[in-house]
Amino acid sequence: MTTAATPAASIELLAEGQGAYHPVDPDGFRAWVRDNKTRSLTSKLMTAEEAVRRFVSDGDYLAYDCNYLMRGPNLLMHEIIRQKKQKLWLAGKFTYVDVALLVAAGVANRADCGFFLATPPLQHAIREGRLEVFEYSNVVMTIRLQAGAMGLPFMPVRSFGGTQGFDHSGAKLIRDPYTGQPITLIPALNPDVAIIHVHQADKYGNARVFGTGVAHAESAMASRKVIISAEEIIDTEEIRRDPGRTSIPFYAVDAVVEAPFGTYPGNCPGVYASDPAVVFEVFRAISSNAVNDYLDKWVYGVSSHEELLERHVGEAKMRELREREVIREGYRA
Amino acid sequence: MTRADAFNDREVMMCTVARMVEDGRTYWAAGGGTPLYSILLGKRLYAPEAQYVTEDGVIAPEPMLPYEPMMTMVASRAAYRALSWGTMNTAGIHAQLGFMDYGVLNTLQVDQHGNINSTCLGEYGSDTARRFGGPGGADTIAACCWRTILMTDQDRRKFVRQVDFISSPGFLDGTVGARERAGLPRDTGPWRVVTPWAMYDYEERRLRLIARVPWVTVQEILDECEWKPLLAPEIAVLEPPTEEELLILRSELDVRGQTTDAAGGWVTWDGEKYVRQVV
Repeated sequence: MTTAATPAASIELLAEGQGAYHPVDPDGFRAWVRDNKTRSLTSKLMTAEEAVRRFVSDGDYLAYDCNYLMRGPNLLMHEIIRQKKQKLWLAGKFTYVDVALLVAAGVANRADCGFFLATPPLQHAIREGRLEVFEYSNVVMTIRLQAGAMGLPFMPVRSFGGTQGFDHSGAKLIRDPYTGQPITLIPALNPDVAIIHVHQADKYGNARVFGTGVAHAESAMASRKVIISAEEIIDTEEIRRDPGRTSIPFYAVDAVVEAPFGTYPGNCPGVYASDPAVVFEVFRAISSNAVNDYLDKWVYGVSSHEELLERHVGEAKMRELREREVIREGYRA
Repeated sequence: MTRADAFNDREVMMCTVARMVEDGRTYWAAGGGTPLYSILLGKRLYAPEAQYVTEDGVIAPEPMLPYEPMMTMVASRAAYRALSWGTMNTAGIHAQLGFMDYGVLNTLQVDQHGNINSTCLGEYGSDTARRFGGPGGADTIAACCWRTILMTDQDRRKFVRQVDFISSPGFLDGTVGARERAGLPRDTGPWRVVTPWAMYDYEERRLRLIARVPWVTVQEILDECEWKPLLAPEIAVLEPPTEEELLILRSELDVRGQTTDAAGGWVTWDGEKYVRQVV
């Protein structure tokens, strides 16, 4: 070792946020991977009911990718609500209605905020202490997941410093020992569980997302437990024919749920359009106190997603939504 | 280009920003709404070689218009015919690398130093605070794009001396080097603020009024600022929207009137001058 010829020889802490954050423990994560993740090709196909029962626990930190309107894992979210999970901590990035819906349903009481729709009932929940919020931004959240997905304890970012979100977060400002300039560090995020809706997966969990996304690969690699719902279950031979299209490899995945129309009423790009009438219905539900009517119809009133589709959507509507999604380029292997 | 006879506040703001869009520059459009429509309108009429990205890592798309309701990201129509598809970290990291010339965003509240509040009105954490959605992509845009264009209403409650909460950084406390001391990239920062009535730039990191629309006076603008911004030696007069701009906005982009806010304040030509209807 030679003496550092850098502007600052020791790391100086300049400021730190005071917000609680999900514990950072890269070695603990590695040990979890060693002890819990399957290495062999074994089928992980199961129902949504079983996947959520086995892999979502009360008090878990939950990451969902995309959101209720756009390739969100809506059937898994509905199942979490149906099973009345408690005290989840949400990665509330790039969210329209999801945080409000999950809080109104009584399953979540903490959220890291990138963006979510703060409807009057949600504002009320925050004032009453039923929801505790920690402040980040969308990209800060996805870079936290990136750090978690790399097995690191933190990541430097060139944004977020100087904001008041910083003060209510787990971020720290240090003097960078390489440049001598101030730099913001954000804590890695390793969720307890990730739920991700994908276009295709095989039974082992090799999963393909077509089109853009928020942080599906990062969320899958960073999370202790991973549930994939897939529009279509495909043969592993198809995966092997075009491995470059695999977004998430099997050993990261704990459960695979076959889920045609699994993001309904949202849009699954390249497969079906969103159902605007129901999208407006959910906005109305979370903006007023009508959320119970929505949940009664779409969640509690049905035992499964298959029943939801059969009773409330129907073949004709599904055909219409498929036809309305006219763009196919880019969404096929 | 024909001056239009009737339009509303949001349309004025989008047309003003559309004319600022330049060929050969990159834009990060925050969310959907007014920033995205302003860029699309600018590309359509004035700067076809301007490129834009969205938060889900779509680079330089040719979107299939109009969008489905609220489906301005991840959705296939919004991402159509792009040159590259990525994820949120694509957009965030490309901005961090310096590839994004302009960020266009809107906000709840802005202060004299261009700090942006999209988190809460009132004292954070107090019983009376009113919560909003948080920064979303705006914090990264405001931190890492070379220049930012902020769109907001001209309203005393929104143009404040000091924002209730800094969600996304402007010039922070306004002192020299404040952004760099907070770890933000050098030579970045707020560049313009556009409202339905006015345009501002910054002098010495403080907002300065540089232009107004023909139907409001400087005094009327100042009455809708909680503090008095700096004034340029000469206040330019902005051109009203044209028929061509409005036709594209209304028939191709915001066909449902969601973003335009057709119920908002209207401005009409009475044969001699533009008159703003007080709502």
